[in-house]
This record gives sequence, C-alpha cells and structure tokens, in this order.
Amino acid sequence: MLTAGVDVGSAVIKMALLETGAEGTERLVACRSERIRRRDAHVVADGLFTDVLRENGLDRKALGYVATTGEGESIPLRTGHFYGMTTHARGGLFLEPEARAIIDMGALHTRAVAMDSRSKVLGYRMTSQCASGSGQFLENIARYLGVSLEEVGALSLQADNPEVCSSICAVLAETDVINMVSRGISLPNILKGIHTSMAGRAVRLLVSLGKPPVVIVTGGLANDAGLLAALREAAAGQKLGVDIRQHEHSMMAGAIGAALWGAFRARKLQRLREKVAS
Amino acid sequence: MKYTVGVDLGSTTTKAVVLNESAAVLGRGITNSRSNYEVACQVAMGEALINTRFSLLRGELKGAGLPDTELDRWVRELERLFRAEQYRSQLAVLTRELDRFAGRMLIGGGPLRAAVGRITSQMAAEVAELYAEGTRRKSDFFRDLAGGRYMKLAETESREHGVGYDQVVGLFDKSILDVENSAEAAGRFEDHMAAAVAATGAAGGVLGQAVSRIASLQLEQIGSVGTGYGRQRLPFPEGQIKSEILCHGLGAHAMFPRTRTVLDIGGQDTKAIQIDDQGIVTSFQMNDRCAAGCGRYLGYIADEMNLGLHELGPVACESSAPVRINSTCTVFAGAELRERLSLGEKREDILAGLHRAIILRAMSLIARSGGISNEFTFTGGVAKNPAAVRALRGLLAEHYGDLDINISDDSIYTGALGAALFALRDASRAGADASIH
Repeated sequence: MLTAGVDVGSAVIKMALLETGAEGTERLVACRSERIRRRDAHVVADGLFTDVLRENGLDRKALGYVATTGEGESIPLRTGHFYGMTTHARGGLFLEPEARAIIDMGALHTRAVAMDSRSKVLGYRMTSQCASGSGQFLENIARYLGVSLEEVGALSLQADNPEVCSSICAVLAETDVINMVSRGISLPNILKGIHTSMAGRAVRLLVSLGKPPVVIVTGGLANDAGLLAALREAAAGQKLGVDIRQHEHSMMAGAIGAALWGAFRARKLQRLREKVAS
Repeated sequence: MKYTVGVDLGSTTTKAVVLNESAAVLGRGITNSRSNYEVACQVAMGEALINTRFSLLRGELKGAGLPDTELDRWVRELERLFRAEQYRSQLAVLTRELDRFAGRMLIGGGPLRAAVGRITSQMAAEVAELYAEGTRRKSDFFRDLAGGRYMKLAETESREHGVGYDQVVGLFDKSILDVENSAEAAGRFEDHMAAAVAATGAAGGVLGQAVSRIASLQLEQIGSVGTGYGRQRLPFPEGQIKSEILCHGLGAHAMFPRTRTVLDIGGQDTKAIQIDDQGIVTSFQMNDRCAAGCGRYLGYIADEMNLGLHELGPVACESSAPVRINSTCTVFAGAELRERLSLGEKREDILAGLHRAIILRAMSLIARSGGISNEFTFTGGVAKNPAAVRALRGLLAEHYGDLDINISDDSIYTGALGAALFALRDASRAGADASIH
C-alpha cells in the first residue's frame, strides 16, 4: 500500500511517500521538504503534496492514507492526523533500527523521546516555553548574517575558536550577533557558538531521559552538519556514552513516521471493515 | 553654521538630532541599525544633516516672501522627489548586487538571474508611482520598502516561471546587506537635490537659487555625544558617550519640562525612568535580556505578518475585542499568531492582544521604578504606534486614574535629543574655558 506522510513544522513542511507490504516490508518511495518562509502553510503543503505526487506519476487515489503530523491537524488533504512524538519515534526507528531515542530539533522546540524497539514512546522531555536556542533562532541569525541555512553547517564546521553564546532571548540574540560581527568574530565561530549552545540544551534533555545508548536526530535541523558535530561533541564532553546518529533523510523522520502509522491504521480499518462485512 | 549632534544607536533604528547653538532642533535623521554600527551612525547623521538643510531651506524661503502654503507645498514636493532619487540610487546598487550573487550560483544561476532581472526592472518602473503625491509608504527605510515589494514579486516569479521562491528571497537577504553598507547606494546630497530641483522645474528661479545657497552652506560640527544600546561601539571618544538612561531623562525633560515619569519602549529594552525638575534621573527600572515587552517583539510580529512596522498599530486599532495572548516568548507569540490566524480569528484582534501584552509588561516596570508622578511621558519607537498608545492609556487610567500623558511625534528621537543637549553643554563649557584663557 502507498501512503503519504506530511509533517507540517513551523518553518519547514516535509513530505514522504512510503510503500508498505502486508508482510511488513517498508520502502521509502520519495521524500521532499519545502521551507514555508512566511507563506500560508496550507498552501505550501498543498503545493508540495501535488508536486511530489506528479513527479512520481501518481494520483491522490493511489494513496491508501494521507497522514499529517506536526501542525498539520487542520489541512484539508489529510485522511488522519498523528501526534509528533509518535511519528518522529516511528520514523526515527525506520531510519535507524538501533535507535532507542530520537532528538527532534525543530524550529520552536527541541524534544527528546525515548522509545522501545517497536517505537513505543517510553518517555519524553521538551524545552520550555521560550525559543532561546531554537531552530527559529538559528534561522533568524542566519538571515541576519546573509547566510542561507544550507550553508550554516559547512561554515560552522570551519570554526577554530567558537564564540560562547550564552542562553539568551532568541530575538534579542540577533543583536548580540551583530555585536559579534562588529567585534570582528568570524562567521564560522559565531555559528559554531550557537550550535554549541543548542547542542548543550539537547544533550541535557537526553541526560534527563536516562542516557539512551543510540539516538537519532530528527526534525527540521537534523541535517545541519554543524549542529550534529556540536551534539556529538557535547555528548562526548559529558562522557555520556551516547551514540548520536543521523541519516540523510533524518529531517523527514516525522513525515516517514506519519506515512507508516497511516498505513498501519489503514490496514486496521480495512480488517475491521472485512470483519463487519463477513 | 555651527551645530552639535546627538546619536542614539538603538537595536532597531539609529537616530541623530542636530541642534543649533541656541539648542533649537534643526534636523532629525533615522536609519535602520545594521551589522556595521559605524555606517548606521554615519547614515543617521547624514540624514539629520539632510533634514537640517531642508529646514534651513524653509527658513531661507520664508524670507523670500512666498505665501506659506505655496512654500510648504513646494518644499514637500522637493523632499518627495529627493527621496525618490535616493531610492533610485539604492535600487540601482541592489539590482547590481542581486545580479552578481545570482551569477555566482553554481546551479540554476541563469533562470535566477533572469528572475531577479525581471523583478528589479519592475521595481524600477514603479519608483515614480511609489513616490507620487499622496502615496502612503509603509516605511521610510529602503530595506522595508524594497523588501516588501520584492517578496511579492518573488512570489509571482516562482508561480509563473517556476524559480525557487526560497532562492530568490535568499538572494535579497544577501544583497540588501551590501546596499545598506555602501556609501555609493546612499548617493550624494548635491546630486539628489539637483535632480529633485530639476524635476520640480524651478532650477533657475528664486527657489532654485535658494536651494543651491543652502546646498553649499558650510556646516561645522562643534560637539557630538553618542548613546543607546550600541553606544560602546560608536566611533566616538569615550568622553563623548553617555548612558541612554541619562539621555532619555534629559531629552524627555527638554520636550516636556514638567514631566517626572518617563516610559521608554525601545527596540531592545524597556525603561521606566523617574526624573527631577532638571531632567536628572532619580531612579529607573529596565527590562532587557528578553524581547517580550520590548519593541522588537512588535518588530518580530510585523516581520511574521509581512507588514511594515508602521502598519501594525493601525491594523490593531481596528479591533474591538482584543484576544488574550498565552505565550510570553516572542517567537512563541509569533507561532501563536499564525495558529490563531489559521483558526480563523481576526487579525486585528490578535494584534491588539499582542500590543496589550507588551504594555502589561511595561506597567509592572513602572510600578517597580516607583509608580507614576504627573506628568507622564511615553517615548521610544513604540510611542509611535497608535495601538500601543491606546493600550497604555487604557491601562494607565485603570491603575493610576486621570493623568497628563505626553506623547510627541518625535518621541523616537528623545535619546538622541538628550545626547545632543549633553554635547551642546560640553561645547559651550569648552567655549567658555577657551574665552577665559
């Protein structure tokens, strides 16, 4: 069965198409993401959905289920909606079967979710109601520095003397960064400083979850190489013994998980219908 | 002619005020702050001097015996044409930078170049209309004006020609920095003025002659003081830098001599200041470290909604039932705004709620600084926002009863005015010392 997952984040919309067999095979057919950039999220989601289907020569009718997650509760194209925690856990496990926790680095929140080998959620931790050190914060900074988000990771990896960036307001930190620029601190060192502060928070969440041995990064920032390096350094620095992994489709974990849960629910419904009919 | 200047380098905008030797304000200038503080300071001072020349021109023409209404109309037209010239020269640099960055793209550079080319030529064609008589512009800053239009055209481009919206917008973010930091983009006063005068068709006449007299007038700076959030980075010697609290106190006192409590909501911090009958600060409370409760909060919301900062207040004023905002954090409030909008709540009600939220935080600062003694003065960029003023009036009446509330159109310049007054005091003291020796 073909199912689609649409993960509506507050900055990026991700979409994945999955094929699942009755005997439990799961195959990622296609996935893609698009930044919202202050447009209407529903319109962007619709466009992305249509594009991905067209590129794969598919029709809406070919899909057994369209599952949304994240902030996609009210988008019209969905069959059903799943909570972010379960979809990220499911998608994380699909991408990294050894993982027993995910760390979801999103635009507004960082979440750590512990799970078992069947992606059942065992516990979670989340940053508080303040966007200090969030992805949105990183995006704001990048915009101010005239750097695209795709360039951020590579630049951060070039840092030789990261500037310590304390945990300050996401909005006012922009000015702190301007100060850094005017003090002549290099772009790589600024970006690495921010990555390190974000990584510190994320690692604290993992510690409070009981240091799961293998963790996969998911969410909109998951494919930022600089952030990944900072996460690994932070974990190593605290001698946690946590193996932080990443997959080329890490960012898509929520969408993938949604598509997989969609297939699961569609099958269940089908069985129910057959039962009723017989 | 001798003058002193005060520069208030804020997080959002940089302001400059020019005073003559008898402490009368000759000119005010404002620009958006940017990563290069020195440039921001230069631009603000440059703008204040342009404004000074325009006010000197008004004075000069008053002597020429023209009827007041006629004169006013003509100077306003001249200023409008002058601004259009400035915009054109900035747009030219933007166009060049966009093309350069697009040309550097490894993939898809061709279609991108064509797209930004179409966008910028469309923008160039619209300048006259943008600066036509009676047109309301959503901001005075090139970044906002050109940016807003660019985003709209970029959306059309991505729809009609299939170029990536994200990439087109990304190019703007890169290029605008070069425009803001280039002296070439700002252009030369004489050039813009000459073009503007020519466009009014008065180049040779009495008016034209007055303009060239003013344009060639020598202005001599005899003192300067810097203040504001970024004051430590101003290209001023240490002795010429004063705390923003002192400058705001003195500036507010100069505008409203009987005021005793000053609330300043700036971009980056909110200050409640108590002053005495000389404008000297007796106590204050300040909120920084968090954008909730500062002007930047509203700036962030305006960005989120693709509105100019100027437009935010008027929209919120249309509300009759402000909503209660649950989030404190600015970024979360932005997310809450989007969520509420997608649930179908009215834009004006949400915005009114956001304005009320920042004033509520200011109220607690006022209380902690020692409450309110009449008269009360509201300054800073947010004092220009009608919805914030409305929320403040409501809450003040609720908590403190009937009060005299001073709000000046030029309240955003309070800090710079205070700084310029300090500069004038220093200059006259130095002058007195010199005459003794």
